[in-house]
Amino acid sequence: MNGKGLIEKMPETFERGALGRLRLHVLPTKRFKTFAVSLFAGIPLSESGVTPTALTPFVLRRGTRSYPETIAFREKLDELYGAGFGFDLYKRGDYQVVQFRMDIINDRFVSHAGSLLQEALRFLGEVATEPALEDGRFRARYVEAEKTTVAKRLEAIINDKIRYAGERCVEEMCRDEPYRLPALGRKEDLAALDAGSLYASYRGWLEQASLDLYVAGDTSLEEVRQLAGEAFRLPAGDPAGYAPARTRPARSEAQTIVERLDVGQGKLNLGLRTGTLYGSEDYPALLLYNGLLGAFPHSKLFVNVREKASLAYYASSRLDGHKGLMTIQSGIEIANYGKALDIIREQLAAMERGEFGEEDLARTKAMLSNQLREIDDSAFERIGFDFHSVMAGKERTGEQMIQELEAVTPDQITAAARAVKLDTIYFLRDRKGEG
Amino acid sequence: MEQLNYPKLQETLWHEKMENGLEVYLLPKPGFAKTFATFTTKYGSIDNRFRPPGGETIRVPDGIAHFLEHKMFEEPEGDVFSTFAAQGASANAFTSFDRTVYLFSATRQIPENLTTLIDFVQNPYFTDENVEKEKGIIIQEIDMYRDNPDWRVYFGLIEALYVNHPVHIDIAGTAGSVRSITKEMLYDCYRTFYHPSNMMLFAVGGVDPEAVMDLVRRNQAAKSFPPGGEIERIFDEEPLQVRNPRMSIELPVSLPKCLFGFKEAPGPVRGEEAIKRELASKLMLEALLGPSSELYQSLYDDNLISDSFGQEYNTGPGFAFSVIGGETRDPEELQNRVCGALYEAAERGIDPGVFERTRRKRIGTFLRMMNNPEAIAGEFTRYRHKGGDLFRIVELYETLQAEDIDSRLREHVSPERLAVSVVRSGTA
Repeated sequence: MNGKGLIEKMPETFERGALGRLRLHVLPTKRFKTFAVSLFAGIPLSESGVTPTALTPFVLRRGTRSYPETIAFREKLDELYGAGFGFDLYKRGDYQVVQFRMDIINDRFVSHAGSLLQEALRFLGEVATEPALEDGRFRARYVEAEKTTVAKRLEAIINDKIRYAGERCVEEMCRDEPYRLPALGRKEDLAALDAGSLYASYRGWLEQASLDLYVAGDTSLEEVRQLAGEAFRLPAGDPAGYAPARTRPARSEAQTIVERLDVGQGKLNLGLRTGTLYGSEDYPALLLYNGLLGAFPHSKLFVNVREKASLAYYASSRLDGHKGLMTIQSGIEIANYGKALDIIREQLAAMERGEFGEEDLARTKAMLSNQLREIDDSAFERIGFDFHSVMAGKERTGEQMIQELEAVTPDQITAAARAVKLDTIYFLRDRKGEG
Repeated sequence: MEQLNYPKLQETLWHEKMENGLEVYLLPKPGFAKTFATFTTKYGSIDNRFRPPGGETIRVPDGIAHFLEHKMFEEPEGDVFSTFAAQGASANAFTSFDRTVYLFSATRQIPENLTTLIDFVQNPYFTDENVEKEKGIIIQEIDMYRDNPDWRVYFGLIEALYVNHPVHIDIAGTAGSVRSITKEMLYDCYRTFYHPSNMMLFAVGGVDPEAVMDLVRRNQAAKSFPPGGEIERIFDEEPLQVRNPRMSIELPVSLPKCLFGFKEAPGPVRGEEAIKRELASKLMLEALLGPSSELYQSLYDDNLISDSFGQEYNTGPGFAFSVIGGETRDPEELQNRVCGALYEAAERGIDPGVFERTRRKRIGTFLRMMNNPEAIAGEFTRYRHKGGDLFRIVELYETLQAEDIDSRLREHVSPERLAVSVVRSGTA
């Protein structure tokens, strides 16, 4: 019997409910000085849908029925004590997810008439379900301006070479899957979108997307159910859900892609297929594998590429648990390409041979457990972690994950290592000596 | 040990100054799983010429404070990261213009991790060999930043603004300056700036104040340090004029990146007056240029700015400047439009309604920040170094008047003290 749970304070847990198509997840807690709110809307990634879906939140943040002018919309946020408002767009598994975030201080710290949580949910509900319209469609001026904004964002990816190389590597690896598409959409699709067609696609998105509303703060499921019921005008229906991604095997022989740009430092990125998804029982072993290989300063990549060979400032690996991918990234002197690649491949091979020490395994378990415990102190991280399990369809709290990690054996890690297959080597280098 | 209560913020701070001069502050956050701790020295990239207590004036290579930060992690027994990892802590460090910060966050073994943090920073171990080995790593770090247009345009602006003040020197130095660093130089800097009387320990989160203070007290009592003294930092006089009103760099970018700013006399260096001036400057910039300002919206409508447009106010020992801008299709037009609006606002004054709304926004943003241990630690230490108190910020905002913002604006903007930095793609 594990008696730990009796001694340590029980962590607060999410209470769940639903309002028509909207699933509700509420974390009642008095620990924070704020209410944290997130709305996740996910639909399957598709060639035809990726760009309108990406453009939609940009247009929604320009104005609502009550605050149709952007300045008034933003002034309202200032008046709500500088409420934080924003959105993210990302790919997760085979879905394109839009996440709206709001973060507003608890009334008890300010002299405010009325409930700030109510105002925040009303605001977010309008953003998502009652946008500013003209003639029954989006305002054309907003759509045109935000098309420019999205185009600029897409073009700007190349400015950050670390990010650019990372995205290019995944794009090359997933060339035959929807996952090759950028979460921000495709520039060439923007021109065809207008206020009418985008509004039609937005209505379809509201009808089809899986919708999850999270609130963490000094509130209850009942209060959120009531406030959200007033705030969100959603089409009728039942909650949708998420299906796990289809995993694919790696190429039988790894491909090498070399791209040239005006850069001083070379970026070496490797794309690998893990075959194991977040919801799988084998996932904790894969997490430990990634930790031993490259997630920490005591990991093989950091120690061998950086500390021993002095080849790089950064050298790390990262898991994508919803798609079954792992990536390795490092910034190196261009002439050191061969040397760095050899060292990285040697670390992958060493993991397959089960060559890692007990001490390093203990360190990796301690670091991962710590990361999982730290999540409890941030409302948005609690929300983000919970949404991972909602998407994966696998209920697993941080504490459960820690227990599963503790139980993993070295053999299970070696088995995970043998299932990881190199698919793509991507190198971004300078233009010198170009043919 | 003294206890400072801030009932409005529902926070209690514990403080003690150790016999050797080390300042220790603890902020317990009941219910928090994590402890976040920083061990900070008032020593950064600008401290390149100084006279140690009772010594001769020394001039050191650019980037040495940052180099020292990298090298501190090496101990005779090996890498400190491994020790932290075994204790489930993630550790890191960074160097700024005037500070070097060592930190960890952990949910378990807090006494052990605090001891590791204090001991490794108080135990330098430099050899010719380990100093040499680090150079390759740091040169790759420098090369990474050289390819980063946001970093280049930002440092380009500081270089354009400052003639003598070392704030214009890249924090990591250059490949050349890094190669010239020796272990003897590192020890000179270490002995001068890592004396406990020049340092502060701050821990926030799941800490037991009595037990932690006792641990630090015993840890420090067991070590001996020479008596501390005044460190004289030597800066050449900085003219009010900018070095170069226009800096331009070529790098592949999708759109030009353009930052401009005004340099001003640094004003009071320490105390609440200095902090009020900083808050007034930030409020002023946000009121006029923030996302809910009319100017922002009209620049956005005219496709002159994107969401990357922003503004900040940066001040430290001997320097104070604003940074305004982002990516733009037309740097010159952007600069003219923004500066024109600022000069006009300086004559007309700020709208009292806008002032109130912006103040409310900044107070709310501050309160939201109080959820975040990392941000609290960073800001607390920064304000403490200036002789101020993070937990009085809301009260200071409340004492600001619209007139304070107006006079701040009139003082701050002047075409003679303006410089611009642009990064754009080459024509080739």
